Amino acid sequence: MEEKDLNNKISRRSFLTYVIVSLGGLMGAILTGLGGGYFLSPIWRKKEDSWIDLGLVKDFTEGEPLKINFTVRKRDAWSTIESKSSAWIITANQKDFIAFDPKCTHLGCPYRWSVEKRQFLCPCHTATFSVDGEVVSGPPPRALDRYPTKVVGGHLLILPQVVGKGKEV
Amino acid sequence: MKLLWEWMKSRLALAEIWNALFSRHVPEAEGLVGWLYTLGSASLFVFFIQVITGSLLAMNYVPSPDHAYDSIRFINEQVIFGKWIRALHHWGATFMVVVVSLHMLRVYFMGSYKYPREATWIVGVILFLLVMGFSFTGYLLPWDQKSYWATMVGANIASQTPAIGSYIAKILKGGDEMGAVTLTRFYAIHTLVLPGLILVAILIHLFLVVWHGISEPPQKNKGSDKKAGA
Repeated sequence: MEEKDLNNKISRRSFLTYVIVSLGGLMGAILTGLGGGYFLSPIWRKKEDSWIDLGLVKDFTEGEPLKINFTVRKRDAWSTIESKSSAWIITANQKDFIAFDPKCTHLGCPYRWSVEKRQFLCPCHTATFSVDGEVVSGPPPRALDRYPTKVVGGHLLILPQVVGKGKEV
Repeated sequence: MKLLWEWMKSRLALAEIWNALFSRHVPEAEGLVGWLYTLGSASLFVFFIQVITGSLLAMNYVPSPDHAYDSIRFINEQVIFGKWIRALHHWGATFMVVVVSLHMLRVYFMGSYKYPREATWIVGVILFLLVMGFSFTGYLLPWDQKSYWATMVGANIASQTPAIGSYIAKILKGGDEMGAVTLTRFYAIHTLVLPGLILVAILIHLFLVVWHGISEPPQKNKGSDKKAGA
């Protein structure tokens, strides 16, 4: 036993140094991993899309644009911010829906639907849009902005965020 | 690279500092007595854990009655490793009090506070009080029933002080009632005031520990014990 100890190349001191360094390294790695993951967690946070339920699809009359008011609940970390918003909904067959951002693409005024002219009228600078959102007359630079829509279980859902200015979504 | 290292070594006296900190003479002690000598380093280690985890928690915590509890729930449920970091801070706080108390008992029962280390002991007592301050102020921050009422009890105890009690309680609570100001006060003390103080005290304490060296464990019929008996 004595002889074996003497032949051993590793001394008590350097053995203890190895133990301290490796245990310290292990603890350091765990701490760095946990703390680093925590600090960098915004990278992996998924953006939550808050689809708004606007009710049953069969309640929307075909052909006639309808302005729907709704409350947007946006989650901001631990708090939820509520804001009022609205959208113009048009459907031809209660299957395919178009949702227009209720702001004129010129300067953001709220426009209205004229039943007689079958056009959207903006009161600010007398802009007019056709039923599918195209500019008919006036200063707007592009067609009406649209919100993404989808039908789930007979309910119409919209995501009140403009995706692609004035384009199909 | 090597040149830079040599330059730093010479200008920052790294070798001398390393020798003073890690190649100093320490008393020979084995078994349980040897372990008792690790309690100071253990406190320092827990302190580092608390600094790291506390800084991370502060990134997602809001000291307001409306948001405190919700932001902690956010840390627990939404932030990656949030639960772990908070648990480390929670258990680190508990361990801190335990380890620091054991360290104090070790120093007391081995008589290590005696000449020439009285100043080290005094700074140590200040450190102990600072740890108590951290415990008291940190306990309120989750703003749940337990922490709210525990702080209420603490403030009421303080208000029992003769003559100046009601003023102490008012200063603690930031007013007559416990509320938003109490929370922001405790948060500021916990994360700004106390860390600054404890850092200075730790540096002085560690300097004194290195300066005076570590005391020998008391032994029968040896050293000062023998002299005192004779």
